[in-house]
Amino acid sequence: MSLSRRQFIRNVSVFGGGLTLGFTLSAPGRAEDGAPLSPNAFLRITPEGDVIVQIHKVEMGQGTVTGIITLIAEELEVDPADVRYEMAHVDEAFKDPEYSMQVTGGSNAMRVYYQPLRQTGAAARAMLIEAASRRAALPADLLRCEQGTVVSADGNIRFSYGELVPVASQLDVPQEPVLKSAAAFKLIGKHDQRLDITPKVDGSARFGVDAPMEETLVAVVVRPPVGRGAMTSYDDRKARELPGVHSIVAIDAGVAVVASNYWRARKAADTVTLEWEPGDSLLTDSKAIDAALTAALEGDNLVLVRDDGEPPAAAAAQILEVEYNLPLLAHATMEPMNATVDPNSREVWVGTQAPDIASSFAALGLGVEADDVTVHNQFLGGGFGRRAMPDHVLEAAQIASALGQRVKLMWSREDDTQHDFYRPPMKSRLKARLGANGEVLGWRHNLAGPSLMQSTMNAMTPALAPSWVPDFLTDFLAHMAGRKDDSSVEGAKELPYAFGHIEVAYRNVETPVPLGYWRSVGHSHNAFVVESFVDELANAAGEDPVAFRRRYLPAESRHRQVLDRVAGISNWGDPPAGHYQGVAVHESFHSVVAEVVEISMENGAPKLERAYCAIHCGRVINPDIVRQQMEGGIIFGLCAALKGEITLQDGAVQQSNFHDYPLLRMNEVPEVEVAIIDSDDPPTGVGEPGTPPASAALGNAIFAATGQRLRDLPFKLS
Amino acid sequence: MERVRLGFVLNGQPQELSIESDTPLLWVLRDVLGMNGTKFGCGMGLCGACTVHLDGVPVRSCSLPINAVANKQVTTIEGLSSNGDHPLQQAWVAENVPQCGYCQSGQIMSAAALLANTPRPSDADIDNAMSGNLCRCGTYGRIRKAIKRAAVGSWEPAEAQS
Repeated sequence: MSLSRRQFIRNVSVFGGGLTLGFTLSAPGRAEDGAPLSPNAFLRITPEGDVIVQIHKVEMGQGTVTGIITLIAEELEVDPADVRYEMAHVDEAFKDPEYSMQVTGGSNAMRVYYQPLRQTGAAARAMLIEAASRRAALPADLLRCEQGTVVSADGNIRFSYGELVPVASQLDVPQEPVLKSAAAFKLIGKHDQRLDITPKVDGSARFGVDAPMEETLVAVVVRPPVGRGAMTSYDDRKARELPGVHSIVAIDAGVAVVASNYWRARKAADTVTLEWEPGDSLLTDSKAIDAALTAALEGDNLVLVRDDGEPPAAAAAQILEVEYNLPLLAHATMEPMNATVDPNSREVWVGTQAPDIASSFAALGLGVEADDVTVHNQFLGGGFGRRAMPDHVLEAAQIASALGQRVKLMWSREDDTQHDFYRPPMKSRLKARLGANGEVLGWRHNLAGPSLMQSTMNAMTPALAPSWVPDFLTDFLAHMAGRKDDSSVEGAKELPYAFGHIEVAYRNVETPVPLGYWRSVGHSHNAFVVESFVDELANAAGEDPVAFRRRYLPAESRHRQVLDRVAGISNWGDPPAGHYQGVAVHESFHSVVAEVVEISMENGAPKLERAYCAIHCGRVINPDIVRQQMEGGIIFGLCAALKGEITLQDGAVQQSNFHDYPLLRMNEVPEVEVAIIDSDDPPTGVGEPGTPPASAALGNAIFAATGQRLRDLPFKLS
Repeated sequence: MERVRLGFVLNGQPQELSIESDTPLLWVLRDVLGMNGTKFGCGMGLCGACTVHLDGVPVRSCSLPINAVANKQVTTIEGLSSNGDHPLQQAWVAENVPQCGYCQSGQIMSAAALLANTPRPSDADIDNAMSGNLCRCGTYGRIRKAIKRAAVGSWEPAEAQS
């Protein structure tokens, strides 16, 4: 039995902004007979003894299932392997206090929920002990929780949690439960077995693409090739003759071909022809974007986002002026976009980073209220920011609504590559002045690129009546309007080095290309630019890149800690013969990561030999998940550096599948070694911070190997 | 496209169906037989997410017409072991290999075919056998370790079970 929605909502506090979570446990009240013990929406313990946790931060590989369960199990004194979990439905209780939305992103799950999830487990523990105290007529301080039981100090009395639930569920939820001291932790910092592996090795894990097929039709969509250009007419005569084709309907995105299975739908779709209008604004290509970025940097409308120190009096002995360019990038999740919608039961099966946005867009497509829609979130076959966007959910809902029948919408890899929300293209111009002894007197960084916030908001509220826009979106907009959209300059503005004079300026350049959040967002481009240029300065100063960085970093800083650590594990400065090293250090999502990439040169191309990483992410919850995220984050960054590039011609994306948007393969990746700095500080992010330094560390290694400074991604050696 | 009637053996169970002869095995598995462990990634044999065994040989089921499967043995991730306890599956757990997990069925099927033929693979053998399988989460290093861990033990290759 689960809590009613009304009860969930009653249990919820009003979250404030900022880091202090206004998280409360249930208000006093009496549960019904037979009810589970449930201190709040995140946890319930049934009379049968099942411990069930809601996964409100979606599992897309970054380890939230394991992290969430570890925190609750630590305080509740249960074996994490015995805890069941469910993907959370949309509920006020699960809204992220920093975003005012139920969204997974920004590497904040463990940072924001470290205390609340422990409080949840601790509240249940206190209630179970109080229940045992009443049952055994013993003072509570003679009882303790141990392995899913409450046991007396002398060990003579022992209750299972399940048998205490009928009494415990009637108790008031303690509002300030006592948390365990760090010294008493059995799981936090130690528990290393991922809890979602078994279904992922035996084929039973259910992703969005595996939504139930009973009485389900499969739809594919034929779209205009240009962005989200408008279809004017289509010819489906051939398709209608093909076997298994159920129906063909026009939706906003194009023509949906619906059949009894994917292959039949796909083959029929291949015979459909479209006429479409590009619309002037959609006629754009990579050259035009580049020209617009250049024009912006050469204009005088840049907004100064940082201006520290006084311009130096000393004359510069050297002046460096360079330009860096980063392309559009696709997310390329292994699971292409898909969504299954039942228009009658108003259920949606999808793997989404933002289930409340998904429910609103499903409601829009179905012509119902968002509260009437149930989103069954699934494992995500990769997210990286792509699955925060709801375009595929809206398409599936429109098709299902037109048919009055349950439909599974499947995107092809080509749809996925050509209709993504891309990582924005960025251009940076930097100028540094060095003194006679190589000291950095001045640093000026000018950036131009599109605003992610503007682009995603355009996508979130297309042609929608204001009355439709759900409260959380208006809240979110208001929230974001109150603080600047920093995503373009994050990681550039916070330059950590104590240079004489630092200026960072930005110019927003609008583009009609659909843009989205891409693992580590602004840090993914700015760490490359900043840490490559710092390497250029070290070289100009004639100094070792690690020593140069150390000199300008505060003595006790986390930056120095990770830099020293990675220099140690990589044997910095003394690589094996024929190997070359590059280093980079960057803070993102409140964590600091330093990386060394070691390469050799093979037929004029860099070969990735090893990568070394040191991270400071505060208190570690699951050490092996931190290592996994560093390993994967580094490969994600290296892949972009070596291969990632989306180009546009006449508004259409020129890449389509893994042959022309390639990813790194088994034979191309380096061995990765990860060191984690011991810390009692509060936990900080790990899902994204491994990515930003990787491309700069590689570029710096290529410079060490060849003397060529590559300032455009992806790297192309001449 | 011509409809054909054909039979094949899936994870030890005989199957008979009537379907257009060019239908890729992947969509027969997923949309007709409801076997969801085998995944769709690219539709062009470029990513390996759909890897299954055809008479013990790893194949990309997204690009293999059902016609080519007639009277043959197909093994999918669901049939690799009876309880998810193939040494590779155990090694995948021990090494915490999966992140999102979407590509892992295909990875494991490619690795199982490798070990069936090469019980003690070198790094070059692993590169050769596994480079057709993409992983966007970057779990390659752990996959390599897990293959080596499984190779240390000894067992009956899965194909011998069916």
